[in-house]
Amino acid sequence: MDLGFTTAAYVVAAILFILSLGGLSGQESAKRAVWYGIVGMALAVFATLIGPGSGLWFFSIILIAGGGIIGYMLASRVEMTQMPELVAGMHALVGLAAVFVGFIADFEMGNVAIAKEAGTAKDLTGFAALIAKKSAIELSILRVELFLGVFIGAVTFTGSVIAYGKLSGKVTSAATKLPGGHALNAGAAIIAALCLIWYLQSGSLLAVVIMTLMAFFIGFHLIMGIGGADMPVVVSMLNSYSGWAAAAIGFSLGNDLLIVVGALVGSSGAILSYIMCKAMNRSFVSVILGGFGGTSGPAMEVEGEQIAIDADGVAAALNDADSVIIIPGYGMAVAQAQQAVSELTKRLRGQGKEVRFAIHPVAGRLPGHMNVLLAEAKVPYDIVLEMDEINEDFPSTDIAIVIGSNDIVNPAAQDDPNSPIAGMPVLECWKSKQVFVSKRGQGTGYSGIENPLFFKENTRMFYGDAKESLNKLLALIN
Amino acid sequence: MKIGTPKEVFDGEARVAMTPDSAVQLQKLGYDCAIESGAGLLAGFSDKAYSEAGVEIKKTAAALWKDVDVVAKVREPDDGEMKRLTADHTLISFFNPAGNDKGLQAAAKKGASVISMEMVPRISRAQKMDALSSMANIAGYRAVIEAGNNFGRFFTGQVTAAGKVPPAKVLIVGAGVAGLAAIGTATSLGAITYAFDVRPEVAEQVESMGAEFVYLDFKEEQKDGAETGGYAAVSSPEFREAQLAKFRELAPEMDIVITTALIPNREAPKLWLKDMVKSMKPGSVIVDLAAPAGGNVEGTVQDEKVVSDNGVTIVGYTDFASRMAAQASSLYSTNIRHMMADLTPEKDGVVVHNMDDDVIRGATVTFKKEITYPPPPPKVQAIAAKSQEKPKELTPEEIRAQEADAFKAQTKQQVILLATGALLTLGLGLIAPVSFMQHFIVFVLSVFVGFQVIWNVSHSLHTPLMAVTNAISSIIILGALMQIGSGSFLVIILAALSVFMAGINIFGGFLVTRRMLAMFQKS
Repeated sequence: MDLGFTTAAYVVAAILFILSLGGLSGQESAKRAVWYGIVGMALAVFATLIGPGSGLWFFSIILIAGGGIIGYMLASRVEMTQMPELVAGMHALVGLAAVFVGFIADFEMGNVAIAKEAGTAKDLTGFAALIAKKSAIELSILRVELFLGVFIGAVTFTGSVIAYGKLSGKVTSAATKLPGGHALNAGAAIIAALCLIWYLQSGSLLAVVIMTLMAFFIGFHLIMGIGGADMPVVVSMLNSYSGWAAAAIGFSLGNDLLIVVGALVGSSGAILSYIMCKAMNRSFVSVILGGFGGTSGPAMEVEGEQIAIDADGVAAALNDADSVIIIPGYGMAVAQAQQAVSELTKRLRGQGKEVRFAIHPVAGRLPGHMNVLLAEAKVPYDIVLEMDEINEDFPSTDIAIVIGSNDIVNPAAQDDPNSPIAGMPVLECWKSKQVFVSKRGQGTGYSGIENPLFFKENTRMFYGDAKESLNKLLALIN
Repeated sequence: MKIGTPKEVFDGEARVAMTPDSAVQLQKLGYDCAIESGAGLLAGFSDKAYSEAGVEIKKTAAALWKDVDVVAKVREPDDGEMKRLTADHTLISFFNPAGNDKGLQAAAKKGASVISMEMVPRISRAQKMDALSSMANIAGYRAVIEAGNNFGRFFTGQVTAAGKVPPAKVLIVGAGVAGLAAIGTATSLGAITYAFDVRPEVAEQVESMGAEFVYLDFKEEQKDGAETGGYAAVSSPEFREAQLAKFRELAPEMDIVITTALIPNREAPKLWLKDMVKSMKPGSVIVDLAAPAGGNVEGTVQDEKVVSDNGVTIVGYTDFASRMAAQASSLYSTNIRHMMADLTPEKDGVVVHNMDDDVIRGATVTFKKEITYPPPPPKVQAIAAKSQEKPKELTPEEIRAQEADAFKAQTKQQVILLATGALLTLGLGLIAPVSFMQHFIVFVLSVFVGFQVIWNVSHSLHTPLMAVTNAISSIIILGALMQIGSGSFLVIILAALSVFMAGINIFGGFLVTRRMLAMFQKS
């Protein structure tokens, strides 16, 4: 098949990919949209296999099928609470693949140069033939492109591996840095930049190798320095990187479909990161550099005490209430309490009460994490609302139940200008008539900030593991 | 240890300090419970109900006092009861320590520990044992009911076939716990309710209960209510004049006036004077909840209902809580139960009288042969300091100006961004070869399309979005596929690995997305 057909197939595939992302604007259209993506991918792979420049197509199909089987098993076994890990792990694969593809391009350039000298350039096929046609300046640009592709791919790879480790609990989720902190990262970045100059002048493979190692280090160290609750930003940032890596590789291979898809994925991840940062009222840079910013003065004194309540008390209040808003957080995912929450919702709705969910954009460890967990537990999506949709309704709500969230319901963000989270948009659950907080103990949240909500007069603390507490509660809701 | 409740000896007192419900809870704390036969009868709790709850019934008060370690009762003990008090007893009761010097001396001499329920400090932690508040709540409610009983009209306005009925106008003076309870009851009966308090900061609470707050045209440095523990303080003579003038103005319009103004440890201020009573319409009702402290109304007779010359009924009862004995007993016994819970940190049925605890220290009036009244001020401030000033409301013009400024700033920012972007692109075009620029156009357009498309993605679908972008970012497989056939063994290995990993990603990503999306269901 000639290049014309392949290009045509790429155009169709690109449109299908755009449609598949656009379809995610609604739950129902999304179910259709994912098929666009699948068809687009199948078309793109098929067209490449039969198109010019490919070889070993039978071997390739076996490899794809083998990978497919593993992917299928992973996808069908993964628990919804492990979703963040899975996504991070898959980013690592894309990153590593980008590194490999970049290296191959470099090898090919070497081969082509040798072939040209030997006068056998006409016999070259595939990608090598493409390179052979390039002029000197085009080759330099090619080098920059593949250098960038390898760099971003390498950062994505180690970063994603660490993110995976942190999310699955294999690596400590606390922010840890080597002595020297960000100076180390900056140093590694400078070395990588020097390698680029070296590489452009000499075309030495060693420069690429050193740069790759530096990029591996940056990815590792950067993500190690970011704490667990900032993971939504990290994961979406890595998502973005994997896209940019694909785009850079697309440039070096001269493949427009790679560029289009890379740009789509890259911008998607960038927007997600932006939304997450906005939801925490922090700049992207401050999240990436890790930790919360310094305070500008002493925090407000928290007065009062945390008053505990038992399941009987909560059940009695729930039986009397007409409207309930549930605010889930990462704690719900940790305790695997979503089924119990769903059952509670079902029973309360069965009694004719209005039950809704309020989801803060950064609840959980992945953008939209809570929505997926609740959906898995069969909570209908039309009662699961975003922060902006529901925040005004708290004053007219009888009971707000906070399950395993902390900073996203912290009134200090509004009341205390000295708080490290001042100005962060929060769910104003304390405005409802009564608040129950299901929490393991009296500790503070990720940010380490005392939460005045727990000391409010209309707040009662429902201590204990979220799942056990809710199951106790379920027995009492008739 | 054993907790016992004798029958109240005060004439007409119907409340009881232990109910079958509270006894069950006390037993959970490890105590045995005992009650004098017939103690709960007037409040509607029979001996049978008590014995079913596991409470021992004692025939006489003497037997009860002898057998128990903790005595819980309602009214301050009379002389006969004081005689029964011994050094082993802990007495929990209203005790009126400010006006009961004799009782204090006697209890201290005997060595009994006395916890006075009216001395429970007003801090959040102690709210659950604040018997004054729970009794005041009942009194406020009952005051309205009592007023209605003596008022010959409806509370609510109605238009009926038999004519129009105007709604009753009710004025509540003093918006403490009793006042707020009265406001709630009066508004829920449909009356037009006004309320006054010397502490302007309670206006918000008053309005939240559905009443209208009566403001005075008077400027004075108000004492922050927090300083006096949330209670009213004595006001200046000028303030008082302004207040009386306002009442004079309101008096002819009001059908029902309920006064609840009390200042701790002082005689109640006279706020509703003879001339105001006189200017009220015949048939109007005044309920004076301050009657036990001398009354807010000139003409109140303690414990009695009197009718003035112009037909205004003045109710001066002092036993409103006792008139709702069942409710009052269940609340009071719950207050006692919470007090016992604080006194029994280990839940082992043994009283630990911890004088370092603010609440216990505050409420204890005699301990180890000493009078411990009045207590030192509590360590915790009663009420949080005043909240900060609210930001100034903006006028529509200012808002418009702000919007215009924001729009200008946004435009400026956009133009600068576009200009720099365009310049950079142009600069790039000068040096880069055509083949690069062709791809670059595709790239820039794709980024634009990406931004436009992704902004519309619903927040709840962000996780599926990540999974699907993950799957399609394995488009990198194309690069590996193009390379796999050309060149050396090393190239084939690396390309094969890339194809393999991308294969995992494609299938894994799309499948998991489908799995997630299938879970989203509409109700």
